[in-house]
Amino acid sequence: MSPGRLSHSVAMLLKALSLGYQFGFEIMEVTGLPSGTVYPALRRLERDGLVTSHWEAEEEAFEEQRPARRYYVLTRTGKEAESTATKRYPLLSRLLPEKLVKTL
Amino acid sequence: MRLRAGRPPIHERMLPVACRLVPAAKRLDWTREWQAEFWQLRHRDGRSSVSLREALSLSYGLMADAAWLRLDWTRISAQGSAAGCLTVLSAYCLLCAGVELVLAGSLHSFARTVASHFTGGFVFVAIPGIFAAIATYPLRPLKCGDKDPRSARILSDRTRWSLFLSAKIGLTLALGFLFSLVASGPLRMAIGGKADWLELLMWAVFVTAGLRWALLNQEQRCQKCLRMLSQPTRLGPPSRNFLDWSGTELACAEGHGLLHVAEMQGSWCWYDKWVELDPTFQGLFTA
Repeated sequence: MSPGRLSHSVAMLLKALSLGYQFGFEIMEVTGLPSGTVYPALRRLERDGLVTSHWEAEEEAFEEQRPARRYYVLTRTGKEAESTATKRYPLLSRLLPEKLVKTL
Repeated sequence: MRLRAGRPPIHERMLPVACRLVPAAKRLDWTREWQAEFWQLRHRDGRSSVSLREALSLSYGLMADAAWLRLDWTRISAQGSAAGCLTVLSAYCLLCAGVELVLAGSLHSFARTVASHFTGGFVFVAIPGIFAAIATYPLRPLKCGDKDPRSARILSDRTRWSLFLSAKIGLTLALGFLFSLVASGPLRMAIGGKADWLELLMWAVFVTAGLRWALLNQEQRCQKCLRMLSQPTRLGPPSRNFLDWSGTELACAEGHGLLHVAEMQGSWCWYDKWVELDPTFQGLFTA
């Protein structure tokens, strides 16, 4: 996916990931995008190498008495795409708040 | 409107349904991920219930996600496969036939045009063309003639190979014929009967080029799964063929075998050499 072809929702998703939001529900909450947009977009970004995913350590999840989550992180190409998207949609920075606390 | 507590909400009941759409290799991870997301939803801000709108949106999200994974998997598995090749050729044939049907105006007129051009000219170009192509481009002899006893397939590898080649040649010729009809249609209206000569020329070009492509394409496929070979790797020092081997090696993505394409063909390697790999090698190729 070339940075020039990033849609507004994909740009929001990349921005959310760059701000530290890491899993589907968290991204849905902060962007206001529905699950029908967020998940297929995450899969597409992962296929195109903009995002990579990993499973949270079981012990960490067990300590917090919840199932392990699948975390999504921007790759180097993803970070470049995110900065291009931020230049293209400058309001994104004001729209999404920085993640301050860890979601339990 | 909020959903009643006690009974699992719609989106959670949809999970096993959507799960069936997801490719088997990804199903476990996918289900685990969504279950973790549902847990998050149930425990957010101390609220345990979900509104109907939210549940419906999540159900749609589940289905969209599963459908996307299925479509992507289908696209990837169709790339370079025999079925994908035949589907694309058939689609182009249908497209050309559709355009010709529109140009002809009626089904009767279309059938008459196709029949007259086929028997009145195309056959006379195609038959010698097939013989010439096969005579000038001998196919590599098949190595895997026997049916693998572990395979669940009904047809042997040799039969599948021959059926695929025949279907591909048939569809390539049909495409060449139909495309020539479509391309020469406007010319016929402009210059009349003289367009027949141009049509003959187009048939000769399409039959020769099409058959050449069909045979070359067959050579670049795995003899077991009929997928296009990939990962070309350069081997050996170039142009040093004395007591040494140099050329390119292509591999089947599923680990069925390797094709050695010699840089210079000699009497000992007239054909590209197909080396079938033992099933124990498959772990090296498949993720």
